[in-house]
Amino acid sequence: MNRLEPVDDSDVEMDRLVREFARDSRTPPLPDETAALPWTVQRESPSAGPFSLATGWRAVEGLRRAAFSFVRLGATLAVAGTFLLVVSHTRTGGAGSDYIITPQITARPSGVIAAPDAPKVYVVKANGVVDDVMADYVSGAVRRAEVDGASAVIIQLDTLGGSESSMLRIDAALHSKIPTIVWVGPSGAKAASAGTFITLSANLAYMATSTNIGAASPVAAGGGDIAATYGQTEADKVMNDAIATIRGIAQERHPDAVAWAVSTVEHAQSYTAQEAISAKAVNAIAGSIDEVLAQADGLTVTTTSGQVVVNTKGATTINVSEDVIQSFLHTLDDPNIAFILLVMGVLFVAVEFFHPTLLMGLLGAISLALSFYGSGSLPLNVLGVFLVVLGIGMLILETTIPSHGLLTVGGIAVFVVGGVAYYGSPGPYLPTVAVAWPIILVMTTAAAAYGLLLVGTLMRMRHQPVPVGAGLVGIDKVVGLVGEVRADLSPVGTVYVGRESWSARSRDGSEIERDAKVRIVGQEGLTLIVEKMA
Amino acid sequence: MSDPPGPPAERGMFPKEAYLSAEIVRTPLRAAASREIAFDRAFVTALEAELSMAYRLAGYLMADSAEAQDAVQEASVRAWRAWKDLRERDRFHAWFSQILVNVCRTRLRQLSKRRTLDVDDMDLETGDPFRASLARDSVGRALSALSNELRMVVVLRYWGELSLAEIADRLKIPIGTVKSRHHAALKVLRRRIEPVEGVAR
Repeated sequence: MNRLEPVDDSDVEMDRLVREFARDSRTPPLPDETAALPWTVQRESPSAGPFSLATGWRAVEGLRRAAFSFVRLGATLAVAGTFLLVVSHTRTGGAGSDYIITPQITARPSGVIAAPDAPKVYVVKANGVVDDVMADYVSGAVRRAEVDGASAVIIQLDTLGGSESSMLRIDAALHSKIPTIVWVGPSGAKAASAGTFITLSANLAYMATSTNIGAASPVAAGGGDIAATYGQTEADKVMNDAIATIRGIAQERHPDAVAWAVSTVEHAQSYTAQEAISAKAVNAIAGSIDEVLAQADGLTVTTTSGQVVVNTKGATTINVSEDVIQSFLHTLDDPNIAFILLVMGVLFVAVEFFHPTLLMGLLGAISLALSFYGSGSLPLNVLGVFLVVLGIGMLILETTIPSHGLLTVGGIAVFVVGGVAYYGSPGPYLPTVAVAWPIILVMTTAAAAYGLLLVGTLMRMRHQPVPVGAGLVGIDKVVGLVGEVRADLSPVGTVYVGRESWSARSRDGSEIERDAKVRIVGQEGLTLIVEKMA
Repeated sequence: MSDPPGPPAERGMFPKEAYLSAEIVRTPLRAAASREIAFDRAFVTALEAELSMAYRLAGYLMADSAEAQDAVQEASVRAWRAWKDLRERDRFHAWFSQILVNVCRTRLRQLSKRRTLDVDDMDLETGDPFRASLARDSVGRALSALSNELRMVVVLRYWGELSLAEIADRLKIPIGTVKSRHHAALKVLRRRIEPVEGVAR
């Protein structure tokens, strides 16, 4: 529209017409019977100005509700956490725990027919993160092998590392009355970080070809990442402790292996099987359990019951596996699963917070507890966790604070950075792990969609204007709707419709009893005219 | 401005208290009044002078008396809250109508999500005085059919008797926009009325 366009004749004419119309308009008087007016309106727009008693009260009420939600959430978390602690504690540690294990004894499908009095050898597969579950079942299996009179126990090891305390428990278990053998295999397996300590702890150690032992991955000398996280002093302390530990363990194996063992910790060196054998840290290459049995036979080792000659020739091998709960708990150590559980837990808790149902809170609390249980043996980076939670928080806030997508973009960025930095870098025991990229992408999408859709819907539901007072006055608003009789129409009573109670009478003057469904067909002043529905 | 008819003075502490019947405003008003009567009387006196015109403007803006009452009340509440920050008390008239126009604009926007103001949909049986007034001839009907933006300018211009510059001030938009909206409004009105009354070009 061109504002410079001259006002033409017809505009002048129109101007006059409207002016006259306005002048002749009757302005109705302001109503003076306030009692009769439907305007006891308590509604206020959310952006209603500065502080007042009303906003003050709302703030107090909001705080009260927030506090209540927090308490409730805290209680939920506490219950779930306690439950989990109890479950995990009954499985780990404690005197009797070694006997919880029920080895699933399966005869190895081997062509060799063992002689009736052939020696028995227990084989324990120790894969994944070195955690309390692994410690449990390795020590359980060793104890079981002792009790059953097995001639040796073989730990088939493949790990990137784990927690120090679990490693120490396994180390203790491997000092047994019967010979203990660690076999790093099959090909491609690793005995990294804590795995190195375990390998050196056993009486005998064998590695398959193409296996590695030593640091999980080469990092800066001096374990630079611990220094970055905890400061140099703490890093030195951790490092010195680890060196002292491995020195002690290696000394038992072979004095020549000590310098080599120290280098795996101090310089984060990783070695091939051949290099480990040259350093006298590992006995020999063994491609399979059978080769281990063959090579170990006849060697003399020192067990807690003294010098023992290993008798494994033609031994029957008995596999010991984890039970269901153990393998479930062990699965939680997967870096990806721990990450997914954390994200899911935070999302569930967020929903619980906005829309308390207890169920979501419980699910969230359990997810979080499982996640933290799982990452107990992983190099969790507190900053990464914080960023992930912050990112989700930003995504959810987007639905309540208008930021024109800024919070969403920022939230996604923060979340991704958090996902990448979720695991920090390890000390001498912990595995070097990271959340897989596809997982980060999927969880980012999920968190964003979840934040925007689900929580957004909940917030919209909450912010939906409730039609009150004048908002509903007007025949067009309720006529045609269906209401419910709240007080008998005899002939005038009350009908609840459109979230309000109205005076109402039936169209034909007939009585309509309470709870009947009625259709609003008209209105007379503030009284609705209704018809009973068939 | 004619004296607005209102409730009898003995009904409340202030003659116009009835218009501020919502508890949210009555409570702070009373509380403040007991301490700072002069201050409060100034506000109430100033507001009183505005109510009639405000109701008229809001009524024709919203084409609904109940909505207009709500709008006037909400504007009063907001004015009261901001009153202590108002430096130039003599500008109360312009200031208050600015608030009122803002309130109406917000309400219209919310309303337009729920219904459209079209004279054909208006039910005269509800007896709304503003609707009745607008529905009395083709000019009024054409007016009610204007978009909110255009109708605001027209109502402020002809019912509020404001200059284009004043309208720009109330709506907080550039005067050029006011001019073009005014022009556009007249054009739309003309187009609507022509087939009915044959207004000469």
